Amino acid sequence: MTEYLLIIVSAVFVNNVVFARFLGICPYLGVSKKLDTALGMGFAVTFVMTISTAITYVLYYGILVPYKIEFMQTVMYILVIASLVQLVEIVLKKVSKSLYSALGIYLPLITTNCAILGVALLAIQEKYSLLLSVLFAFFSAVGFILAIVIFAGIRERLEDADIPKPFKNVPIGLISAAILSLAFMGFSGLVK
Amino acid sequence: MKESLNILTRGLVQENPVTKMLLGLCPVLAVTTSAVNGLGMGLATTFVLLGSNMVISLTSKLIPDTVRIPSFVLIIATFVTIVDMLIKAFSPELNQSLGIFIPLIVVNCIILGRAEAFASRSGLWHSMLDAIGMGAGFTLSLLLLSSIREILGAGTIFNMPLVGEDASTILVFALPPGAFASLGAIIALMNALEKKKGAAA
Amino acid sequence: MRPVIFLTLAALISAALLATVSDFTREPIAAAKAEMKRKAIEQIFPFEVESMKTVTKGKSVFYEVYDSKNALRGIAVEADTDKGYGGTIEILLGVSPEHRVIDYKVLSHLETPGLGDKIDKPKFRKQFHEKILEGPIWKVHKDGGFVDELTAATISSRAITDAVQNGLEQINEHYSNTAEQ
Repeated sequence: MTEYLLIIVSAVFVNNVVFARFLGICPYLGVSKKLDTALGMGFAVTFVMTISTAITYVLYYGILVPYKIEFMQTVMYILVIASLVQLVEIVLKKVSKSLYSALGIYLPLITTNCAILGVALLAIQEKYSLLLSVLFAFFSAVGFILAIVIFAGIRERLEDADIPKPFKNVPIGLISAAILSLAFMGFSGLVK
Repeated sequence: MKESLNILTRGLVQENPVTKMLLGLCPVLAVTTSAVNGLGMGLATTFVLLGSNMVISLTSKLIPDTVRIPSFVLIIATFVTIVDMLIKAFSPELNQSLGIFIPLIVVNCIILGRAEAFASRSGLWHSMLDAIGMGAGFTLSLLLLSSIREILGAGTIFNMPLVGEDASTILVFALPPGAFASLGAIIALMNALEKKKGAAA
Repeated sequence: MRPVIFLTLAALISAALLATVSDFTREPIAAAKAEMKRKAIEQIFPFEVESMKTVTKGKSVFYEVYDSKNALRGIAVEADTDKGYGGTIEILLGVSPEHRVIDYKVLSHLETPGLGDKIDKPKFRKQFHEKILEGPIWKVHKDGGFVDELTAATISSRAITDAVQNGLEQINEHYSNTAEQ
């Protein structure tokens, strides 16, 4: 039980995908201008990240390892993620129009979100079991949502602030991220 | 001739993938704790960019439009795996410090971006020049950021000590917050310089 | 249908290409790994390493180090601890045939750069020199042991103490002590 708890705390806070592992920076800076778009992106990421980690895990130990073709790992993973994203898009379109209109525009962006591929690779590298991998993926995504939502909140306020011209948009965003990641460093040592 | 030169050099400053187009920031932030890492990552990415740009420029007419992106990704992933294996074989130290960010070159938006925006609609020669130029711009940014972080954070450059062993350094630059803050400052500086140039001209 | 056929074909070409490169790099990768281990072992032992033998006993992997007269001069073992500040720390511990610590090398760690990563500095490593398993209190100073903890990195210091002790235990379990004979 404690093992599960530690993975959750570590994935959300201590080794936060954005602030500690530097994964998913592009969507973090790109779609965090408004709180609701940030949430939409966050949910789409959670969905794809959890499922793709489960699928790639099964494929890795089911096909790549027995046939000794581990060198196909990167190629296979990225193809799985790309096709999964397309599949999710098609299914969503058919099943739920409202969900599709909410998440649809973020889905194509997810293929090149390195957090998805990164988390799938990390789960193998950390030698987690299938259950732990899925848990790790889900809560890493929760950590991503946390980061992107906090940041969107800050950004909405930055809109009204008087920022020196060269620092407008991305530079001030990165500097806010620096302060946020400094705050998140306070969590390190929670898990040991 | 002039066009070739322009394609080759525009990635360095005016269309720099990192400071101007803000692409591929994950590896930029993650591996720049030392200049050696920054340079290694830059060169590895340039190699992949060159390979994928060449293949995509040659084959783009054969690729059916519906599977364009998956095909590009497949080509990129193949080159990334080759680089991964070569680094493991010939530079195990670099492999250890770049770790998971070598396979993650696949999702570096610069590479897919150049494939989509340039290589798929240009000839082989121009695609090669574009890859070299963009790769050089990416490497340059990595080198700049990693040098700043290594000098301030660890007191060394290319692992050569600049200060005594017991001297205290500005640790935060070696840590994640330092990565975000330094990159923010560099981009702001570029913006300011460009504005000045624009005003003068 | 054409897109599917195309993509399958492309994937096959990619697989064939990667298989070739993989075949070509398999030996250099294995050699590079062995070379890194050898370098680490040579750094630990302060004498000329003439030959090395890898021995697997139970779950532990030992590296026996011999001099030019083929006499056993030291044993190295991989030891780890999950008590680090950032997670698991792996070290390679080198001891003399009398089971006295010679030195160790940190193979991988996730400690804070500039604070916890000083566990790899000579000044800190020196404290373990010549220590044996029985006798010394394998704890940091704060907890009543012999190890002077690093400033602002007590947890990392504790973790290394634990890892070195763990390595010594592995050696004691599988090797008879030449000093006692």
